[in-house]
Amino acid sequence: MSEKSSRRDFLRRSAAIAAGAFVIPEIIPSSVLGMGKGTAPSDRVVIGAIGTGSQGMSNMRDFLRLKDAVRFVAVCDVDSVRLNRAKEVVDKANNSQDCRTYSDFREFLEKEQLDAVSIALPDHWHGIIYTAAVNKKLNVYGEKPICRTINDGQIIVAAVKKNNIIWQTGSWQRSQPHFRRGAELAINGRVGKISKIVVGLPDGGRTIGTPPVKEVPPELNWEMWLGPAPKVPYRGVSHWDWRWILDYSGGQLTDWAGHHIDIANWGAGLEHTGPVEISGSGVYPPEGIYNAPVEYDFMCKYANGIEMRVASSSRLEHGMGTTWYGDLGWVHTDRGNVLTASKPEILQEMIGENEIHLYDSPNHWQNFVDCVKSGKQAIAPIEPAYRAISVALLGEIAMTTGETIKWDPEKEEIIGNPRAARLLSRPYRKPWTLPTV
Amino acid sequence: MASVISCKQQAENKALIITGQSGHDWKVSSEAVKQILDQTGLFSTKILVSPAQGEDMSGFNPKFSKYNLVVLDYEGDAWPEQTDKAFMDYLTNGGGIVVFNSKSDPGQAISESITSSKRYTFEIRTRNTDHPVTKGLPVRWMQPEDVIVQGLVPSGSEVLVLATAFSDTTHGGSGKPEPVMVAMNEGKGRIFATMIGLPGGEEDQALHSVGSIVTLQRGAEWAATGAVTQEVPSDFPTAAAPVLRPDFKAITTAEAFRMIADYDIQKSTRYYTFIQNQLSRAAGDEQKLLALEKEMVKVLKNEAATAEAKKLMLRELSWMGSANCIQAIKDLADVDGLKDEVAYALERLGQ
Repeated sequence: MSEKSSRRDFLRRSAAIAAGAFVIPEIIPSSVLGMGKGTAPSDRVVIGAIGTGSQGMSNMRDFLRLKDAVRFVAVCDVDSVRLNRAKEVVDKANNSQDCRTYSDFREFLEKEQLDAVSIALPDHWHGIIYTAAVNKKLNVYGEKPICRTINDGQIIVAAVKKNNIIWQTGSWQRSQPHFRRGAELAINGRVGKISKIVVGLPDGGRTIGTPPVKEVPPELNWEMWLGPAPKVPYRGVSHWDWRWILDYSGGQLTDWAGHHIDIANWGAGLEHTGPVEISGSGVYPPEGIYNAPVEYDFMCKYANGIEMRVASSSRLEHGMGTTWYGDLGWVHTDRGNVLTASKPEILQEMIGENEIHLYDSPNHWQNFVDCVKSGKQAIAPIEPAYRAISVALLGEIAMTTGETIKWDPEKEEIIGNPRAARLLSRPYRKPWTLPTV
Repeated sequence: MASVISCKQQAENKALIITGQSGHDWKVSSEAVKQILDQTGLFSTKILVSPAQGEDMSGFNPKFSKYNLVVLDYEGDAWPEQTDKAFMDYLTNGGGIVVFNSKSDPGQAISESITSSKRYTFEIRTRNTDHPVTKGLPVRWMQPEDVIVQGLVPSGSEVLVLATAFSDTTHGGSGKPEPVMVAMNEGKGRIFATMIGLPGGEEDQALHSVGSIVTLQRGAEWAATGAVTQEVPSDFPTAAAPVLRPDFKAITTAEAFRMIADYDIQKSTRYYTFIQNQLSRAAGDEQKLLALEKEMVKVLKNEAATAEAKKLMLRELSWMGSANCIQAIKDLADVDGLKDEVAYALERLGQ
């Protein structure tokens, strides 16, 4: 585990900032507000945010809810309205006017001296910006899916490993007790030897046809929003709805892979490997600008014999969520505190002292802050995030090519299919290139 | 290219549509059903119009055994006894029957417990994805401006409900899922019954919906032969929206490449979706992929083709292209508006 992010280094960096180019205003000690023992400003994680849309702001609020754990000092977005809104939230939390704003992440990363950065962007930007932030040795809270292509993911994983930073993926289901409990029952054999896993993710299914080309609103830097993606005219689709367009995302499948596929892998001991064979099919919208699959159904075979079916939930008996099946029964978990089993006794099972106890984090954002301070690995580190989205991206390749894909999870290569292998990456539009590690 | 363009197969199956009495406009529906079945290339279809309601039916005695498929687009007077018997013999000896929007057997009154929703656009749920008729269909898809018949009780234990629609009370519905498509075996014969595609309503959308057309085509093939060889087309609707075919006709590969040259995303993306679908259907079949590539290269070389069309071809060639497309791509390197896409394709192709 990282030694560079030790508590001592962390404090030293904070102290340097406090004494440095700008002045942190007085912060009212939390004890004055009757909140008990306060945290000294220098003990807070100094953090910035890149991407201040809905998920970025949601994460910011989750960090701010931790009270004295973090101090946001800078925000960055290509939409000035959202940027200013983020600044207002930060300034209010800090009781100051000092939150710095950036419209270009390069300038943000160049100028800011931070302990950590919270990043929530459309997937097509993840490769470049995650790698750039990690190469700056920043600890990162990064949204899932961590990459748009497997090649992007490989670079990000390599960068995190090389720079020894703390990485937390926004796969917050790991920090919910019932998901952890379900995964722990599965990995400790309470359903018997796991033979099958079924993962249900949402159906897609909205269309807007193809809206006419519109004038780019003055607050939005459209060219920067597109970045490495193909240049297209603005049709009013950017925030949120990028996820239905394959240039930026893979639809519900890739959006949710970092949740239920991640939990599936966690409970089956598959978080450091991948399938060896992937095949299936998707339903694509016949018309309109939204072109991500709205239904999908594919099977992944693992070297140890486990078969994982990933499908849109309308096709599945248990609908959304993860179900592990073994020779003794099944366990199913989903949002809304859902934890069910083929037999109620399974849910009463105790996990013995010498059995596998999965990482326990009661709060996903607190866990990141704690790990930044302690240097311990966070609950949702980079490789499991990469392995979870890889399943979805390999499924996407199987659906695009119509072929059964053979994958080497060790070498991380597609075997014997040069056409499919080309789909492991997406060339970047100039001048953008994926940073090297 | 011949291997890729879906050749019209010899129409091996003779189909007979029986119509002439119905609660809906049977002239419109029977003509549409004939076109829809003949369009598959699997059927050669005749329409038989019965005597009008109340007229003498005694001479109504179709030679069912001459056909592989009988479509009942008929709600009306009883048939002569020997016609009924011949029909049952036809079925039990292995004949295929499609029941098209008919709510009663000949000579029987429509049950009072059967009601209809108002016309509206609703979602259909495929309930059986293993049956040949519905295998490969989306689980959720939209049917436009149609009527849900409610209170139908599929009789017999062999009846498989293939699809249902939730009949919404705000549209005069039952507030329950209702079967809209069923299949059953009877003796050696097979029956497929569909309650979607009812003629009427704005521009006969229900009848022109790709969902009704394709399920009718697949149901007819299954009833006639016991298997379905037709592919699920790329324009099959999803939960997002219904899709219409004004002339009932499916897109062909030749048509898609002809139309793609004029590609304008604002008009339609369906020919592009079709080509992408053909690529995944080729699924590694080298000859099919090379044939498709040849057509794609023609679009690149076609001076009349739009830049947008060329961009789409470059995107697909970037992963499935062979050495055969490289020069044509390089030839576009200096064309304004295509530089990014040329660079994209060449980078992915390792050039």
